[in-house]
Amino acid sequence: MSAQVQGFHPASFLSAQTAQLRDSLSGKRAIAAISGGIDSTIAAFLAKQALGDSLTPVLIDTGFMRLDEPESVKAALSRPPLNLRVRLVKASGRFLSSVRDETTAEEKRRKFRETFYQVLRDEAQRDGCEYVVQGTIAPDWIETQGGIKTQHNVLAQVGIDPLATYGFKIIEPLADLYKDQVRSLGKHIELPLELADRQPFPGPGLLVRCIGSATKAKLQMLKAVTRIVERKLAPMHSDQYFAAVIENRYVEGPLAKSIREVSGLALALPPGELHVDVFQDRVTGVKGDERSYGMLVGVRLQEDSRETYGWLPDKLRILQSRIVEKFAETTRVAFLVKEKKGGHPLSVLVRAVSTRDFMTAAVTPLPWKTLKDISVEVLKTTNVSKVFYDITPKPPATIEFE
Amino acid sequence: MFVPVVYVKGQYNHLIARTLQDLGVESRLLPSTTTIEQLHAMGADGLLMGGGPQRVRTMSDLTEELAAAARLIKSVDIPLLCICVTHQLLATVYGGRTDAAGKPEFGPVEVSVMDEGRILERLKPSFTAWESHNDEVVLPPPGFSVLASSEGCKVQAMAHEKLDLFGVQFHPEVSHTSRGAEVFRNFLRAVSK
Repeated sequence: MSAQVQGFHPASFLSAQTAQLRDSLSGKRAIAAISGGIDSTIAAFLAKQALGDSLTPVLIDTGFMRLDEPESVKAALSRPPLNLRVRLVKASGRFLSSVRDETTAEEKRRKFRETFYQVLRDEAQRDGCEYVVQGTIAPDWIETQGGIKTQHNVLAQVGIDPLATYGFKIIEPLADLYKDQVRSLGKHIELPLELADRQPFPGPGLLVRCIGSATKAKLQMLKAVTRIVERKLAPMHSDQYFAAVIENRYVEGPLAKSIREVSGLALALPPGELHVDVFQDRVTGVKGDERSYGMLVGVRLQEDSRETYGWLPDKLRILQSRIVEKFAETTRVAFLVKEKKGGHPLSVLVRAVSTRDFMTAAVTPLPWKTLKDISVEVLKTTNVSKVFYDITPKPPATIEFE
Repeated sequence: MFVPVVYVKGQYNHLIARTLQDLGVESRLLPSTTTIEQLHAMGADGLLMGGGPQRVRTMSDLTEELAAAARLIKSVDIPLLCICVTHQLLATVYGGRTDAAGKPEFGPVEVSVMDEGRILERLKPSFTAWESHNDEVVLPPPGFSVLASSEGCKVQAMAHEKLDLFGVQFHPEVSHTSRGAEVFRNFLRAVSK
């Protein structure tokens, strides 16, 4: 990750933004919407500098956070240098019921956004707050405005007036920055590393890693898998890494066969050595600056070939690009690491990428042994039946699956 | 030095401004309806145009946004670097042709440099660039020289050296195009000459 950049000066940015916030918020009360991530933490820090006790930091427990996450975030933010007294709002029932009937990525994201701002509206009304400070950064509004995906923390940039719709004004002190710049602010104010280097976690959290419908059972399994995958990948020097789950339901028809032929050519293997599954639930990507909501292709090789190709990330990269460039309806390709007979018809997708600013991302060439270790533990301790590794860069994929 | 960026809703337009700022140049996003007179009044020394989701086929069926960008391209008299969809627009404005790519490119692609010109100085023989395009320039415009190609795309870079007009299909502004900053430095040299 790049450290200091020539054109961006943390000290002058912080003092200019604090002065501007003092100016626009003087004598007012505000809520800071926080998640524990670096962006909302820095935005809340700036607002606290400007407002002192007139600022209420609010953390919403959406039910889509990881095991024990809300409590540990609340504790971490209460310690120096932040000393934020966080109000934890429990709203998991409200969120889960708002997305209960949704199966497509954008509907899930829009419902999440709606509930998110309704909860904030209730909190703001209770305290008589006119303002909400949030940690929206450049990729959030760029992806939302470009129609790639609806980020939960973008309203005005897509023509939704927060005052008319929710009764408060929104302040986004970091709206022109990228993740690496926000991290340099964190280092500058000497945030503890657990916060400054914390891996990004999407606002809608595990909701968008539960591909398709988000049932309670699926979410519970994803929480268990997430714990294993994050622990195993933490030492691997990837900028972002996580797990997602998808149901083993496949598209019928000739597409899988055509993809299998192209895959065989790309890997120089007879088609009989490969098996291709095209999943029914769709996944998000970006091709030529346009949203691509297409098919996820799962490629399974026979065990001995899998062992060979697992160690050859460049070959897998060619496999991925041949498939996605040839078949316009496909968006991402995942490579089977391990499977077990029986189990719940659910697959785990492991994702690990290197990225500076989350605008582009390269697949991290994880050692095959690491992927196998993860898969063995996931298959042993949870009831899922397959583990894949996503081998698609951004573009044509996005980092998250939905 | 002030080098603004025309925003046409591409994913990386804002990153172009950031890259220029990182190189010590003042930059910000402007709408494509900005005129050359307004650019002069702001003191612009050069101009960048980014990518976007629109299609370029003929001059008569452009989106309003790209039609405005095309007017600006025709009237510009300061050095201009166009990226991705506006590279295709630059080619089309000057009599070339854009069409669906025989092989769309997404992610890392090897770009071979035939002729460095000014914009690809020191980038021979080849470099890895990141791409994201469904369309491409299929016929370069008269007066422009093709500087670089990839396996799937013939016109990865083109230039009209006399008019200070440059176009690249790849994205020099994304961090994964590791030598992208050199393309901007080369452009800034053309601006400051």
